[in-house]
Order: sequence, then C-alpha cells, then structure tokens
Amino acid sequence: MKRHRIYMAFLLLFLSLCAWQGDAMGDVMGDPDNITYAPLRFEPPKTQRVELKNGIILHMLEDHELPLVNISAVVRMGSFYDPPGKEGVAKLTGTVMRTGGTGSMTGDQLDEELDFIAGLINVSVETESCTVSLSVPQDDLDRGLKIFSDILMNPAFEEEKVITAKAIETEALRRIRDNPQQTAFREFRRLIYRGDPRGRISSIESIERVKRDDLIVFHRQFFRPSNLMIAVSGDVQSKDMVDNIRATLGEWNAPGGPGGFPPPPVYAPASLDYFFKDTPQSIVLVGHPAPGKESSDFYAFEVLDFIIGSGGFRSRIFGEVRNRLGLAYSAGSFYSSRPHYGIFGAYAMANASSTLDALSAMTNILNEVKKKGAHPDELAWAKQSIINNFIFSFATPDRIAVGQMMLEHDGLPDNLLTSYKNNIERVELDDLRAVASRYLSDKSRVVLVLGDKKRFNRPLSSFGDFRVTQDNAGDGQ
Amino acid sequence: MTSVRIFPNIFLKSLILTAIALLSLCETLRPCGAYDLTDKVKEFTLENGLKVLIVERHAGPTVSLYISHPTGAIDDGDGHTGTAHFLEHMRFKGTETIGTRNSDEEKHILRKIHETGSALDREEMKGEGADRQRMEELRKRLDALQAEAGKLSIPAEIDRLYTENGGGDLNAFTGQDITTYHVSLPANKVELWARIESDRLANPVFREFYSERNVVMEERNQRVASDPGGELREQFMATAFIAHPYRRPILGWPSDMRFLDFDYTLQFFRTNYTPNNTIITIVGDVSPEVVMEIVRRYFGPLPRCTVPPRRVTEEPVQTGERRTEVKFDAAPRLIIGYHKPTLPSFDDCVFDVIDTILSGGRTSRFFKVLVKEKGIASDVTTANGYPGARYPNLFVIFAEPISPHTPGELEEVLYQELDRLKREPVGTRELEGAKNNLKAALLRNISTNSGLAGMLSYYQTVAGDWRYLVTFLSLLEKVTPEDVMTTAGKYLTRDNRTVATLVKDK
Repeated sequence: MKRHRIYMAFLLLFLSLCAWQGDAMGDVMGDPDNITYAPLRFEPPKTQRVELKNGIILHMLEDHELPLVNISAVVRMGSFYDPPGKEGVAKLTGTVMRTGGTGSMTGDQLDEELDFIAGLINVSVETESCTVSLSVPQDDLDRGLKIFSDILMNPAFEEEKVITAKAIETEALRRIRDNPQQTAFREFRRLIYRGDPRGRISSIESIERVKRDDLIVFHRQFFRPSNLMIAVSGDVQSKDMVDNIRATLGEWNAPGGPGGFPPPPVYAPASLDYFFKDTPQSIVLVGHPAPGKESSDFYAFEVLDFIIGSGGFRSRIFGEVRNRLGLAYSAGSFYSSRPHYGIFGAYAMANASSTLDALSAMTNILNEVKKKGAHPDELAWAKQSIINNFIFSFATPDRIAVGQMMLEHDGLPDNLLTSYKNNIERVELDDLRAVASRYLSDKSRVVLVLGDKKRFNRPLSSFGDFRVTQDNAGDGQ
Repeated sequence: MTSVRIFPNIFLKSLILTAIALLSLCETLRPCGAYDLTDKVKEFTLENGLKVLIVERHAGPTVSLYISHPTGAIDDGDGHTGTAHFLEHMRFKGTETIGTRNSDEEKHILRKIHETGSALDREEMKGEGADRQRMEELRKRLDALQAEAGKLSIPAEIDRLYTENGGGDLNAFTGQDITTYHVSLPANKVELWARIESDRLANPVFREFYSERNVVMEERNQRVASDPGGELREQFMATAFIAHPYRRPILGWPSDMRFLDFDYTLQFFRTNYTPNNTIITIVGDVSPEVVMEIVRRYFGPLPRCTVPPRRVTEEPVQTGERRTEVKFDAAPRLIIGYHKPTLPSFDDCVFDVIDTILSGGRTSRFFKVLVKEKGIASDVTTANGYPGARYPNLFVIFAEPISPHTPGELEEVLYQELDRLKREPVGTRELEGAKNNLKAALLRNISTNSGLAGMLSYYQTVAGDWRYLVTFLSLLEKVTPEDVMTTAGKYLTRDNRTVATLVKDK
C-alpha cells in the first residue's frame, strides 16, 4: 500500500505540468443532434447479370482500385440434407472438395499451386446453402479460376484427405465442450429445431459413419450448373471474364434443374433446459421462431430486434443486463432470417451467481415489449439507425456483387436493396406490438441455461420447471 | 452472433501480419502505379501536436475514422493492472454535454459516488480485518447514490448518436502499447465524429464506474476463466516474461480489477490521452481540405501537455527453458514462445517470413507435417510480435493435438522442424511463395477503408511513422534463405524458449 501511495504522488506531480482545460472547448461544442450535414449523393452501381447456356447465373462488378479478384459461387445445398445417421456429410463434402484434389491435380499439388500464387479458396457450408469463394491476385486470375472451376466440377475426394478431414472434425467436436458458448449454441439449435432436420447435428459417431462415397454422392446431388450462381468483383474486364467463365464452368453439363428450398421448420413447443458446466460464467439463451424475409412481418421484426437487443448499447437487453445491472459483458439479441422462416434469440453470458437474474431481466424485457410495445423515441431511433446504416451494404463492390447474387439465390426481389429502406420507414408502433405478441409467445419460448447451478444465487425452480442435463451433451453425443 | 463491443485486441496478430504485407505491396506485386500509398496518404500536424493521416478513396460513400494513442496495459502501474482497458470502457460513458440531463447536479453526485466507492474499496481491501457493518452501510449508500445519478444521466448517448447516424464498426481495443477507438460512418457525417471524439478527449465523464467494474470482471470470466485458451495464454505470458510489463494481462489481474480506482483511472487518462499523444487516421470518401477544417475546429483547442517519460523494466536475457502447466477441464493444448527483438530490426522482419513458412497455409511446414502427414494435430499456428511491438517480444507457436496424441509428441515434431529451419536453407520457391502471401494478405486487408485506416494508424502509433511500412518493404525484399537460417539459429533455441501446456483436470 505504501508503494501505491508513492506512485500516486509521482503521477500527481506530472499533473501539475499540464493545465487540463476542458473549458477551452466550450465554444465549438454545439448540440450533436443539431449538426447539419451535406446531403449524401450516391447511386449504387448495378451488377451486370449474365446467364450462361448451361444455366449458371453471373453477377459482375468491376473495381480497378487494387489488383485483386474475388469470386463467390453459391449452391443450394447444406447440412439440412445430411442423411440421417450421417450428420456432417455436407460439411465434410465442402472440406474435402477443397483439400481432396481434382481430376487434374492431387490435393497436395493443388495446395502447392494455390499457396504459391497466394490464392485463397474457401468452402463454407451452412444449413441451406454452400458458398465456394476464391480470392486471387489479378496476375494469377486464370490459374486461380481454373482451380476454382475444377473444385466445383471435378473434386476427386482422395481417400487420405477424407480421413484427415474426419479426424480434424472429430477433434473439433471433442473440443466443443471446452467452449461454453459453442456448447450452448449447439444445444440451443438442437432445442429450437427439435423434430426438424435442422436440429440434427453431427456427432463423433455420425462422422465416423461417413465414407468417401457419401461425399461423392452428395456432391453429385447438388453441384450442377443450374443450381449455381456466381458473383465476381474486382480487377477484371467484364467481357473477358464472361468469356473466361464460359470457357471453364460454361462447358459444364450435369443433369437436373435448379435446387429448391427445404420446407420451413416445424417448431417444437416451449421448453426450459439446464445443462451442467462447471464454469464461473453461465450462458443464457432465450429463443423464438420468427418471420422469414418474405413475410409481411419481416421489417417490423427487424426493428423490434434492434430495439430489444441488436441495436448496441441503447438496446434494451444491453442497457439493462450489461450497463445498468453489470451482470454480463456480452448480452443482446440476434435475428436471422431465410426467405420462409427465421429465428430470434436473446443471449447473455452472465456471472454464475446472477444467472437467473439475467434470465429474468431478459424474459421481462420480452414480456414488456409484448405487452406495451415500444416507445415512440425508440422506434424513431431504431428506424433512423437501420436506414442510415444501410449505405454500408454498398461499401465495397464485393459486398454489392455478393448481395445481388444472394437476393437471386434466395428468390427475393432484385430491388430489395433499394426497397428495404422504404419498408423500414413504414414500420409503426402498432406493427411492433403486433409482431411482438405474434412471435414472442410463451408457448414458443425455448430457454437454455448452461452453467453450474450450485453457484446460482437462487434455485432454478424459482424461475420454472427445468429439464436438467447433468452431464452436458456438448461432447457430440 | 455475439456482438462483442469494446473488446481488447489482446494479440493484434492479424493487424501486424497484414501491415507487414502492406509495405511489400507496391514493389513486387505490381508496379507502384497500382496503388501507391506514399502518394495517397496526406499528413497533417496541428499546433498542439495532434497527428492526422488522411486517404481519399471513393469506392463507396463511407468513411472510417480511427483514433490511436501510444498507450496501453504497459502503462498500468503495479496494483493497477487493467486500468488502460477499463479506461477504454469508461470513455463510452459520455461527456459533460453528452449523456446528462443536468451536468452540474450530476457532477455533485458523481463526486459523492467516488468518495463512497473509494471508501468502500479501502475498507474491503483490509480483507479479514474489514469492518463488515461499515461496508454494508457504504454499499447501501453507494447504491442509493447510483440510483440518484441514474436519474440524471442518459445512458449510452455516444453509441446512440453514432448508431442513429448510420455508424457501424463502433468499437475500441486496448493492447499492451496501443489503444484505438474506431467507427465507420456515412461519408457526410465526419463532423459528428469530431464533435463526439474531441469532447471525450476534453471532458469525459466516468459514469457507471462501479457497475462497469463488474462488466470487466465478466469480460475476464468470458475470455479467461471459462476459456482454456485464454487461461493458458495468460499463464504463458506471465512465465515467458519475468520482469517486463508484457507479463501482465491487458484485462488485469482479478485482485486489481476488483479495486480499479477512479482517481487513478482519471489520471491515467489525463497523462496519456493528450493531443500530442494522439493519432487520427481517416480513410474514405472525403476531401482532405474539408475534413481538416473540421478537425482543426474541434481538436485544435485541446491543450498540449507533457507526456511523462515512461520507465519500463527491461526483460533480462533468458538463460534456460521455462515451463508451466495449467490444469483445466478441457482437451490439451500447447504454447511455445521465443524471445526476439521487435521492429524496426531486420531480425523482426525475418521472423515475419519464418511465420509464413511455418504456418501460412496448407503447404506451410508445420501444417504439412503435423496435420497432413502425421495427423497428430488438429491445428497449429504461429504469431510474430506477441504481445506488443514497442518492446522486444515473442515469436509464438500454438498447437492442439488430436486425441490421443499429447502436447509432448507435438513438441518433439515442432522442434525437429525448427531444427530443419536452422540446418537447411529454405528453397527459393518456398521463400518467394511466402513473400507472395504476405503481399496478397496486405491487399486483402487494405481493400476496405477500415482495414487501411487500421494499418496506418497502427504503424504511426507503434513505429512512430506509418512509412515504416515502406522501410519494411525494402527489408523484406532483402531476406535470403541464409538470413532465415541464421535468425532461426540465433533465437529458436532451447534456452530461449517458454513452454506452456494445458493438462486435463478431471
């Protein structure tokens, strides 16, 4: 303690050297809400759309600032279609498409070539879509495009690479239980999609059952020109690029038409689940089914989610659970939507002792907004924030090209990027109350708590009748 | 999915890596005409010493705004670890004109809150000998005062102003020796940023001080106490450094964090956030003249203050291997680190090349041997310049074994690979590939306004001049296979290494 005081004195000495004068600023500090801004003039560039003879659809946008090219291909495929008992096939197919070689190169040759030209190819598999992306310096575009096309059309799925991919995936599953957040979100997914293919999740056993042939079949089932859309942005001449793609992917013929959408999920009834994990911080999740992008409720729900928890510090959950109560560092909400359905979730990573306080605060906020809707100021703030931030959808050519492709992939109107603002503008207080009571019903509420109930400051039963899983299931069972 | 704001970027790895790449960009990838940074960066210095870098760029109608200070956890005093990072949180609580309904009345109550809070801390620090009853009284008084203050404040106003005006990417990070605040806005809103940022440099108000202490404790619970990787990193740093402040966690040690001090935090702010210790970087769809008029108007009146010289204990030369073990209910993992010089030394530059050769991509040496060939690791990465770049730092290896293999097996293979690096010169194609990757990583990073702003801001702050990027380019071009061999031989030795392993508990 003595040392501490000496140190303070040392600092104070320096303080006297510097006359800190906040007052000097007085005359420039007007009301930050009353600054006048020059109008923002901006006409978003349009992508060029080309349809190849074999059904591939291209969206292209030139951008010559840097000598780089980005290409993204999206396919209607995903873990939704994993064969029962072999959950993980979709993801492994994506992984080994990248690592397992092609008709003309072994996986190792391909790695060597890509690494040398500093090309990056990633395959990411979601529930209902798969994106294969290439980023390559302009000088080596031809080489990069050739490899990229080969991976889409002729992946070889070398046995040895299948074994490696399975081993890495198995280890990742084994390690999920080390990560409370991953464990909780995985169980949350299983709960909210109970009884639906989206709720079937890979496990060590299901990965073990996957064989090389499963990947070959899965690839053949989904990868074909008519089920493929491509976005190109960067340092290219559109005409040359179309010719290049025609000469590679344009020659691809495989039977079948465009893939469809899987049916929307059938949701499970409300539930309360507790998973044991010996940790000083609990994860609390509260979820509800929510409207899809094509629903007339979509825009109102976007605004509602912003107010509840995704609008930063001002949003209700953040303000209450983090700022006012100091119970968590991360707290808020998310809303993710597909054309035909969506999911809403509220989350907090709360101090173990305050777990149920955080949960009560969150459910109170949801019930309150259901009962009373939002305040007019909140509505104005949320709408203005969403509308003003919308310009960032056009911040880079890559974002514009991929955005335009995804609209078409999702079967949404191609003017959505421009109509979005108007539709947000139209949302009113009554709409918020209506969607809140429609979607945030007690009957559809899925609650998950992961933590150690011995550390809670009140019993679980004080909140409700929880189903208890002592041995948490994060280990891929 | 989790929106994590105001987070400490503990490692800054990606930034460093890509920044390094930036320099090499112009020279070899293409003639400089493609993107000549030297021509594009406009530099200004205000009379009070504040430095401004501007790059005009018209890809989209947005602008990224970065403010950096060459301060961070390294400036936390003993017993006050976590202060730099906590200050970063406090700076989102508003100013005398942002976030209050009645500034004078609020000031009065805030003063009482800090008196009461400090008194409570002093009592609690007595531990067993603390007067429980007095503590209870003080706690009640603190709660009542905080409730009263709550009525006079408008929470989250800074966030509200930015968000409502379309701001995104609003965040801040505290490193060991740099602290950065950034936001991206529609290009016509630069004045809003200037209004808010100059105000919080001049008149910050530390509202919700005591509840925010709980928030950072939870941040630590999230990033360290419930994260095996975080826990192992913390113990590793404390073992690798025995004297230099890099040994301390940015978030702080829990016993210090519990008692983070109001006066000390304010003093930290006044000492380190002076205009002559501030670098502004602006990249986007703006005109430098228009922007500079705004910057001068708002930041010009800030008074220049002497920044006291920093006294930092030098890390003594390591004279033998250090090992530490962390027990945790999680699968095993491993960190190995080697002391090395920092920029602008040539050796540091060689380590960037070594970094790429060992772990950049699927053909890198570590990945090839441990993951592809032997199948004993699920992941292996390396990082150069850990945990900061103003003082000699570490080259670090992170690896996770695939069950049932052990960290010990991984160590053995890793050391064999390091020995190979010391024994045989790397092939010219391998070296060229590594350089290509560094260059491309740069391009990818500067393709966004925030990426470019972040890099310029980082080098201006840490190296004292963003042009270090250019210097670095010439250094990088000079790196030969022999340099790699010599540097590996000099630093990647047994006596110079620290090994931390996580061992399953239960």
